[in-house]
Amino acid sequence: MWLALVLIILLAVLSIYGAFIGAERAERFFNQPPLAVFWTAFLILLIAGLAAFGRLVRVPGLLLIHAGCILILAGGMWGSRAGNNIQKRLFGIDKIRKGRMAIYEGRSENHVLLDGTRMQKELPFSLKLKDFRLEYYKPTYLLIQARQGQRWKVPVEAGKEFPLGRDGGAIRIVKEYENLKIGMEEGKSVPFDDPSPGSNPALEVQITEPGGQTSTQYVFEKFPGHSHVQNKFFLSYHRVISDYVSELQIIEDDKVVAEKDLEVNHPLHYGGYHFYQSSYDDKAGQYTVLQVVSDTGLYVVYAGYWLLCLGVIWHMWLRHLFKRVRGKKQANGN
Amino acid sequence: MEIKQTTQGVLIYITMTFYLRAFFVSLLAWLIAVIRRRLLGSQQKSIFILKGLLGPVVCLILVLGSPFFIIVSLLTGLIALIQRWPVDRFLAQFERIMVWLGHGLYLVGFVLAVVSWGYRWYDVGHVPLQNLFEVFLFLGMIYPVSLFCRRFLRVGGFAADMLIGAIVLFPAGFVFHAEPQRLPPALQSWLFTPHVAVYMFSYIFIAKATFQAICQLAGKNPKPGENLLPPEQAAYRIVCVGFPLLTLGLILGSYWGKLAWGDYWGWDPKELWSLVSWLVFVGYFHHRYMFGRKYPKLNSLWIITGMAAIIITLLWVNLSRLFPGLHSYAT
Repeated sequence: MWLALVLIILLAVLSIYGAFIGAERAERFFNQPPLAVFWTAFLILLIAGLAAFGRLVRVPGLLLIHAGCILILAGGMWGSRAGNNIQKRLFGIDKIRKGRMAIYEGRSENHVLLDGTRMQKELPFSLKLKDFRLEYYKPTYLLIQARQGQRWKVPVEAGKEFPLGRDGGAIRIVKEYENLKIGMEEGKSVPFDDPSPGSNPALEVQITEPGGQTSTQYVFEKFPGHSHVQNKFFLSYHRVISDYVSELQIIEDDKVVAEKDLEVNHPLHYGGYHFYQSSYDDKAGQYTVLQVVSDTGLYVVYAGYWLLCLGVIWHMWLRHLFKRVRGKKQANGN
Repeated sequence: MEIKQTTQGVLIYITMTFYLRAFFVSLLAWLIAVIRRRLLGSQQKSIFILKGLLGPVVCLILVLGSPFFIIVSLLTGLIALIQRWPVDRFLAQFERIMVWLGHGLYLVGFVLAVVSWGYRWYDVGHVPLQNLFEVFLFLGMIYPVSLFCRRFLRVGGFAADMLIGAIVLFPAGFVFHAEPQRLPPALQSWLFTPHVAVYMFSYIFIAKATFQAICQLAGKNPKPGENLLPPEQAAYRIVCVGFPLLTLGLILGSYWGKLAWGDYWGWDPKELWSLVSWLVFVGYFHHRYMFGRKYPKLNSLWIITGMAAIIITLLWVNLSRLFPGLHSYAT
């Protein structure tokens, strides 16, 4: 028991140290050979504890908790870099542990750039990017700044007029565009929302002077503060990204075997790998970057999570609850 | 420090006022109980009343600053005079009224805290647990935990909970920015609410356990006849309720990390500090299993250390530049 307590305190101290050095260095630190010895000692101690202390096996909650911890540690070690190297040497399993892949729209790709190296490896199947798109929340506010320095924040609600003080007049948002283009109709320039690929989000606003004269101005999201010399106000707005979506096809032996719209929190799982939305072409939106992670050891860890949760809840909540209910029943029976 | 001149701000400030009044009224009830106990053992009752009762009690009533309390106190005194109650009975009645009044104010404060959180939900359009402002607003709804601990665990500390309620609402009211934010893609998950909510509940339980641990260190025991557990056992019981929630929070967070970022463990400072909090309580359970109640002060120190780790996990990691990481959006 003393040894267990010492190892728990030691792990807490190491974790505090890890928190101060940042995630990247902490990952390297906890994967170093001396720490591998520590993890192994922890695992052996847990297994030895189950063998040595009969109570840990007799009490179901304690058994589940400790077995859960064993599985979490074992799964984590099996899926670690050192675990992968051992699998390669002993069993010849050579899976990609972690890496990234960039895929252009309309193309398929199976090369993965391995994390922390310049090496590439091939997946046994390809991924084709049908389309990548960003989705946005509706804009909330239009920011208005007068040349004299006054500022207003106006909700983006089409058709509603907002007063801008005695000297400012009023402002009304006429229309919201996703991809504003200007066309010519009967010699006049006419704005329209172009459905073809491209992105030029903008707002059409109407400014009413205190004297009653009206003028139309366009506010471009990508060019904040864009304004003519004669304009009284600098106008800007921005939309918040609500989702990144990569429309993917999995191709094996020249056949499409599966399709999936990959989003944050909705990874793709195929062929022993998880694929995550990692980055994208922020200039032209032509390609997506996916993170590729092997699932080795993952389900052992998940099994450990289940056991740990069930064990803790059973041992600390449910068994007391059942005991109380049983006691009450017996008291009523008597 | 900012004063929020918005509906949200007003709701927070009124809730805090109710919690603080509930706390002062409970303090008054406790003071009367102490006076009653001393009075029963005193030979010079009338002199003691003048010295001991009128001084602190009247001061506290005035501190409460509300005509309502002064009227209630005067009415009780008037009834006592008309009915010619003995001093003991007058004090017992007065204490009972103050206990109920404190409870009532606490309940009203809780209802206002729920309204305040609900208003925030309506305002931002998603479950408001995204940043520290919203999390502290959630922590302000402490009443059900107090009630649960009193009814099912035989653990008191109602007055302390009222003060904790006001204290956790303070940063929401005066420190953290309340600008509504859209949920970034990483937070749009079914795990968002359960992960944060179970953590917050576990933190409230452990805060209560910490109060009991402090009582144990200070040698404060419950009044006889209150049917409450001594602080060391009370703290153990509450930790037994809070620890599974802490475990669930850690595991849900890990599972969510896998779905959102590709790793179930990213060695991020917040993750490591939450592991430290968890490990401190694992250590506490091992220590308590080894020695039982032989070293109650050490048991209490384990819990206080765990609470310190939780405060660092919740606040320091997000507010300090020492710990940049994946959880920075929660600031």
